[in-house]
Amino acid sequence: MIIKPNILLVDDDELYLYIMEKTIHQLSKDLVVSTFTDGEQAVEYISKCTDEKVELPEVIFLDINMPFLDGWGFLNEFKKLKDKIHNDVNIYMVSSSMRDSDIKRASDFEDLTGYVIKPVNKVQLAEIFKKIYHENW
Amino acid sequence: MWKRILKMFIGLYLPLVALSLYVFASQKTKQITTLSEFQKRDVEIKKTYFLEQCNALLADTHYWANLEYPVNFDPMGKHTAFMDRYIELIKEITDYDQFRFIDLKGQELYRAVRNNADSITIGNLQNKENQQYVKEGLALNKDQLYLSQISLNREHGIIEKPNKPVIRAVAPIYDTTETRIGLVVINFKMKRVLDQLKSKVADTELYLLDENHRLISSSLHEEDLPYETGRVDNIFPNKLITSIKGITKDSTIIDDDHIWRMQPVILNGTKNSFGSISKPPSEIITPSNWYMIIEIPPRLLKKYLEPLYDSLITFNVIAIVGLLALCYVFQKKKTQKELFYKELESKNIMLTRNSDLLEENNVMVNEMNNSLEIRNKQLSDFNYLISHNLRSPVTSMSVIVDMIQKEKNPEILNQLLPKLDQIAKSITHLTEDINDYVSILDNQEVKIEDIDLKKLILEVKNEFTETLLDDTGFEVLINLDAWDHISYSKFYMQSIVHNFISNSIKYKRDNVASYIEFKSAIENKHKVLYVRDNGIGLNMERHGDNVFKLYKRFHRNISGKGMGLFLVKSQLDALNATITINSKEGVGTTFKLIF
Repeated sequence: MIIKPNILLVDDDELYLYIMEKTIHQLSKDLVVSTFTDGEQAVEYISKCTDEKVELPEVIFLDINMPFLDGWGFLNEFKKLKDKIHNDVNIYMVSSSMRDSDIKRASDFEDLTGYVIKPVNKVQLAEIFKKIYHENW
Repeated sequence: MWKRILKMFIGLYLPLVALSLYVFASQKTKQITTLSEFQKRDVEIKKTYFLEQCNALLADTHYWANLEYPVNFDPMGKHTAFMDRYIELIKEITDYDQFRFIDLKGQELYRAVRNNADSITIGNLQNKENQQYVKEGLALNKDQLYLSQISLNREHGIIEKPNKPVIRAVAPIYDTTETRIGLVVINFKMKRVLDQLKSKVADTELYLLDENHRLISSSLHEEDLPYETGRVDNIFPNKLITSIKGITKDSTIIDDDHIWRMQPVILNGTKNSFGSISKPPSEIITPSNWYMIIEIPPRLLKKYLEPLYDSLITFNVIAIVGLLALCYVFQKKKTQKELFYKELESKNIMLTRNSDLLEENNVMVNEMNNSLEIRNKQLSDFNYLISHNLRSPVTSMSVIVDMIQKEKNPEILNQLLPKLDQIAKSITHLTEDINDYVSILDNQEVKIEDIDLKKLILEVKNEFTETLLDDTGFEVLINLDAWDHISYSKFYMQSIVHNFISNSIKYKRDNVASYIEFKSAIENKHKVLYVRDNGIGLNMERHGDNVFKLYKRFHRNISGKGMGLFLVKSQLDALNATITINSKEGVGTTFKLIF
């Protein structure tokens, strides 16, 4: 049985994952955070969730550059699974730098809620959560 | 230049001069024809005049011959009264020089000789039986008239001075009983007639000749009948004699610069009734016919043709001057034009050369541009790589440091501190990788040389222990029929081949005889190298975009930094080569390198 997390972090930078988790927990002890180090693992997890009809996390922070399957590849796979997903999933593209070509490419994916630049600080996170959970966190 | 002018001038002038000569000749002929037409009319008028005069005096003679004379006619004696009637008549007709009756023996019966215009002397009878005209007269029949030669009058056998050209008309006379009693002989003065003939309208010459070509009168001589005076040598143009031989009718002879017009004057054998209807016509007997000739002498001809000659010369002079000027101007222009064209041509050649040079430069600039573009892209990639990959550890570090400063809990601090070490390590790795990459970007130091590809592949192959052992089941196939030598960086090529062999060994499939094949080809004039293996392959749909990117790994179970193909592409890009991939999971991968 999979426990439904609130937030999914997908990034190959383990330090980043560590920092994000810490920052999120500083904001709220209640939010459950799951992490994956590449897109492939994240896709496997999501398809497993849909198979077992477990609700997906409300927020996914997705890195662009990752081995095995990158952020774009993840989005492609996510699109394929979309029919089986029944709750709202907010996907944020995260990158240490966004090139113009990346921004343009990002606009092609309607599943993307937005993108943020690393490092993501507490204030930014609080704003995102406020928008999604409406003070309920 | 002058030679060309002369050549052109001759070319132009020759036909012109030919044409002018032709026109001149035809004009000359026309002039001469016109002249001879005038001449013909002139000679006809004169002939008619001469014939009229002859006929007039024949008519007179005819009148005398038809008088009815008394029987035993004695004009000096018993019949003076008969003669008295006629003496005034004889006196009036001033052309009569002598009027005589001669009996059948040749003895003069009556003789009237003119002294001057209004006096005559009668008498002083002579015997004329030996005279030719008397003999001819006595031989005449009733209806015949005799007209003698024109000759100088002689008295007692001596030519009378001044020369007096006369012609004698003779006719038989009869008495009332129709008995022949003698002859009437009239000497007509011919000076007036001959002078009239010789009178000139134009500057032509007139000749009157008898049948023996003896000159009776000519405008060349004041005195008539020069042959009778014994001056026959050289008085007559010899040419004329030879020219008129055999002429019987009106004809023209053009000889040298003379035009001769000849008209025979024929009286002998002609008949004339002298206006009488009742009497039969009389036959005229003459010892000789005449020729009347009008000559247009060279001086007249010249005078007529002079304007023609003048215009010919004027035309030719103008033509020569005009044509010479034309030729000079034309040739000068032509020479200038040729010079201009020559200059133009040399300029054209220079332009073509410049154009070639420009094109070369263009090609060079294009090549430079190409390599600059590639370099730009590489730099941009490098920039991205640095900013992306270096930024994340650095920002992470700053966050960790920030956390450490705020953290009081020693337990958590102990957790945080190793993270810094982790960051340091990742930065070190990154710097190493960047170093590798920069060494490729900075291809200034790359030495291009001729590479024996087969030798190079075999050398690289020997670096892998897997290929040395036969029982591992990995083979390196080399098929370089299309080409096996290439100008390239040996260091790069070794690195590229090393990465391909390394990858195909790393990602070989289990349970098959694994191999990698290097195959050369020529496509669109480019050297192409196919690198094919039968390894596990790649999901092209998922990873196609990322194959040649840094830190991209596609197989979780197999170790790798995600740098091999990134470096291969960089090394190919650096020397303007390209690489593409085609792969299928579970079948194998083919790379196509275009140099």
